[in-house]
Amino acid sequence: MLRANGHSQHPETPRSWHLLVFSVGGRRLAIKTLDVGGISQWHESIPVSGRTPFVSAVVRLNQIVLPVFDLAAVLQRTVQGKSFLCLRVKHSLGDMAICIDEEIPILQTLDLSLIQPYRDKDVPAEGSYAHGQEEVPILAVSRLGMGLW
Amino acid sequence: MAVSEKSEARVTSASTSPLCFIITTIGGRYFGFEAEYLLGVRTSENGEFLQDQVVQGIADQVINLAVRLNVATEGRWDRTEGVLLGAGKCRGYVLVEKVHGSLEVHPSQLLPLPPQFRGPERGWYRGMILFDQSVALVLNTAWVLEEQLGGVMAKTESEGTESIVALQGQVQSKSQAC
Repeated sequence: MLRANGHSQHPETPRSWHLLVFSVGGRRLAIKTLDVGGISQWHESIPVSGRTPFVSAVVRLNQIVLPVFDLAAVLQRTVQGKSFLCLRVKHSLGDMAICIDEEIPILQTLDLSLIQPYRDKDVPAEGSYAHGQEEVPILAVSRLGMGLW
Repeated sequence: MAVSEKSEARVTSASTSPLCFIITTIGGRYFGFEAEYLLGVRTSENGEFLQDQVVQGIADQVINLAVRLNVATEGRWDRTEGVLLGAGKCRGYVLVEKVHGSLEVHPSQLLPLPPQFRGPERGWYRGMILFDQSVALVLNTAWVLEEQLGGVMAKTESEGTESIVALQGQVQSKSQAC
């Protein structure tokens, strides 16, 4: 009979989340780094007439075209700065682009014990954490653009 | 600049039939029309296209896509071009600001509308083409001629000569054949 070699049969549950913290209209938000496809300069978006809430444009990045999720409109804010950034996120339906403030995003590792449920309902969130008096939502990318959350 | 010079999507394989589109501008945005439905192009210097066109006794309704697509075109109609599209008995002049020309692409270069667009717009567009550092949205001819199809159906109903279903299928089947 085979015996376990001392290693756990189950992979260890991560004790922390690696986050990318960025801002839209001065509002701080976070996203898991696993959900990030990249960050680049924002290129002018191309409007696409339609009736999908918050998805009404595409942006061209070289030879690929990504749908734009208008996170600023969701938050009812205006993206800040002169040179916006393009946050590419990995969505279950395909990558999407989000226009974010020019302020350079930062990487942060957050212990799981610090993550709380997100009380507000303005964005789909996997949780939140406190940054001073501010509650920073951790975006649930898979639910962006999927209707009410 | 000629469309052929702007094109970034030239045909590279002879094994698959290329697709051909007419590239236009409406409200400063690029829109493509399926070339197989193109019956002609007319130019106006004074906005005369705001009325239906009668050529050789055939009245063609003017289609203002800027309104249907909610595209702002203020002050852009001084010089207007009309793209005459037709499928069966359905015909209509689409108002555009400029016709850039035709563009051939490999079928793989007609990009699908991303699935994140989940509304009725999925029926408005056939897809997207990379064009001139930007993107041209290719319109679905069946949707463009939708109102004309309604008119034809009303006429045939009153005349009682043709099947409404057959006419509707004419546009749809031709679209699907592309």
